[in-house]
Amino acid sequence: MDDTFLISIVTFTYFSAAVAFLISIIFRKKSVDKAALVITVVGLTLQTSAIIMRWIHSYKLGIGHAPLSNFYESLVFFSWSIIFVYLIMKRRYQNNLVGILSAFFAFLILSYASLSGDVNCTIQPLIPALQSNWLISHVVSSFLAYACFAIAFGTSILYLFKIKAKVNIVNLLPDATFLDEVTYKMISIGFVLLTLCIITGAAWADRAWGRYWGWDPKETWSLITWLIYGAFLHARLARGWKGVKMSLVSIIGFIAVIFTYLGVNYILSGLHSYL
Amino acid sequence: MIKNLHKLFSSVRLTIFLFLFLAVTSILGTIIPQGLPIERYKALYSSGVFSVLKFFDIFDMYHSLWFLLLLVLLSINITICTSRQIPRIIKLIFPEKKEIDDTVFISSQIRKTFQSQKKLSDIERQSEMLTKSLVGNPVKVKKEDGTCYFFAEKGKYSRLGVIFVHISILLILAGGLIGTILGFNGQMNIVEGNRSDTAILFGGKGTEKLGFDVSCDDFTVEFYETGMPKEYKTDLTIIDDEKKVTSGTIRVNHPFFYKGLKFCQATYGIAGVSDFRIVAKNNVMGEETVLKLNMMKKVSLPDSNASFAIARFVPDHGGSGPAVLGVLLEPEKAHDIFWILKNGRNINQQQRGGFTFTLKDFTKLYYTGIQVSKDPGVPLVWTGFSLIVIGFILSLFFAHKRIWLRISGSQDKYEISIAASVSKNRKTFEEKLEEYLRTASYGFTVE
Repeated sequence: MDDTFLISIVTFTYFSAAVAFLISIIFRKKSVDKAALVITVVGLTLQTSAIIMRWIHSYKLGIGHAPLSNFYESLVFFSWSIIFVYLIMKRRYQNNLVGILSAFFAFLILSYASLSGDVNCTIQPLIPALQSNWLISHVVSSFLAYACFAIAFGTSILYLFKIKAKVNIVNLLPDATFLDEVTYKMISIGFVLLTLCIITGAAWADRAWGRYWGWDPKETWSLITWLIYGAFLHARLARGWKGVKMSLVSIIGFIAVIFTYLGVNYILSGLHSYL
Repeated sequence: MIKNLHKLFSSVRLTIFLFLFLAVTSILGTIIPQGLPIERYKALYSSGVFSVLKFFDIFDMYHSLWFLLLLVLLSINITICTSRQIPRIIKLIFPEKKEIDDTVFISSQIRKTFQSQKKLSDIERQSEMLTKSLVGNPVKVKKEDGTCYFFAEKGKYSRLGVIFVHISILLILAGGLIGTILGFNGQMNIVEGNRSDTAILFGGKGTEKLGFDVSCDDFTVEFYETGMPKEYKTDLTIIDDEKKVTSGTIRVNHPFFYKGLKFCQATYGIAGVSDFRIVAKNNVMGEETVLKLNMMKKVSLPDSNASFAIARFVPDHGGSGPAVLGVLLEPEKAHDIFWILKNGRNINQQQRGGFTFTLKDFTKLYYTGIQVSKDPGVPLVWTGFSLIVIGFILSLFFAHKRIWLRISGSQDKYEISIAASVSKNRKTFEEKLEEYLRTASYGFTVE
């Protein structure tokens, strides 16, 4: 079986998980609750298998490398990271709404990866610049960071909705302080991962491009993202900012994340021509 | 005035402002290309826009004075904030007063008081278990006029995490500054078999003499079947003081070091071509001869009084691939000049003087583009990176937890006071404490 076929099954699974989480929130049934979680875990397991299959397949083609080297592979790993981070955080922050968000984000990303014509899903050999031991740690840390920021983005949007919207549905949403807390936790973990991503990237750039920092657009945008979330953490920890203001910073931060991930490649030019 | 300045620089508001200001201004340099020759900018922007951008040094903004000033302000800000934090944190890690102070039972974030009528030994045993399960470390006991104190502490060094992170940012900034002032970054293009001792610095900053020669012994490039590049490799030798000192190979991601300089494989290109092999087919006899030629060196054609030379080479002739400009020299005739293509198209054009010429082969002479850099700030930056990781681990995975417990009163009625302080996750800690008190059969009655 082809790994891309398996990924289309995973796409469907995450969609089912999102629907199951939605049902469990509306009807407040414990059994549906469990089912949603099981579906998510099945999805992640299948996706992990798909990633491993692709890895093995690349070795069979004689161009063996971790499947983290092009846009398609990065999208698959991004959605994997979101579900992975969700399942870890779920142990402390039991909430199905965050489950809907994560499963839905993962579903959207995978649909784009599978259906968009721009995304080439063939296994390609590694160009010389990517042939490095830093590849895995750099890419893994960056996408885990992006995943944390994505979840924080979701909870920030929900927070604003909860505070500002005057409709009945907001009663289904969790407590505003809970959303605020999840946003903060996700951003603080994401910030550490982003720092690791920048450090591994710097170590790699030092060997590949001769300098650890060169103000390449991708590097600069990762720093911009780091500065925004750094400002968030300082405002929160040292000045006690909470609520709406922090949700807005989190949303702006995630826009910077998206720009770092995609915008730099599509709009600006630089050394990170691969993703 | 100085007091106000000190107040400004010790405020986190300034940090937040600088972070966001740096973030916003940094966007500019990703939109406006950096470090191009000035003529390119003149062509890109209208004269008004150009002069504004030029005034603010936007064309090399990350090295401009105002950007440096922002980083210096940030460094001062971090230095003052951190130096103000250090004494407080040292006090938390190594408190001056070793004895348990009764004030903690009034001032701590987390406080609880109970009454119990159990035996003192039971209460003591349970109290010990409580501190052990919540904080984990062995319990210190102090007895004073019938009042019994317990104390447990864990993870006090996690307090250093924040300090480490901030110091590491200072180290990284200092390393960056040292690198900018004392280091350089440039490129040297060396043709195979040649040597060079000069690097051309990036951003039009002139040249740098290395003080020794780098010789490019060989350059090879490999491709995958798909046509994507697989490997670029340069074999080089260092010639210092006219002696071959050392040699090595550089590939992308595998630099070579000599005398504190780093040599990275950056690019390559074709510097020239030589050893052309041109097949000359005699149109009458059908006989093929391979001519071995170099640029502008004429050879005589077999069974003919004509001779042949090549005058030019182009890597791509109108989309048909590599081609040479051939010159046929016949006595008493004007020179006949014509293109000879490698892939054998335009066959008619190549029939001259009774011969058909085809470009069969040639040897490419590559040049390798080596990036040369010196950065004495790198060790400081790596120290900063390691320290920031240690700092994050300390503050992310560890928490400073302290718990105090006091048993006072007499036989018929004991009073148990609990005070606790945690550096983070206070809510979780409180929940755990409540949970413990609920499940353990203390015989306490909550006041």
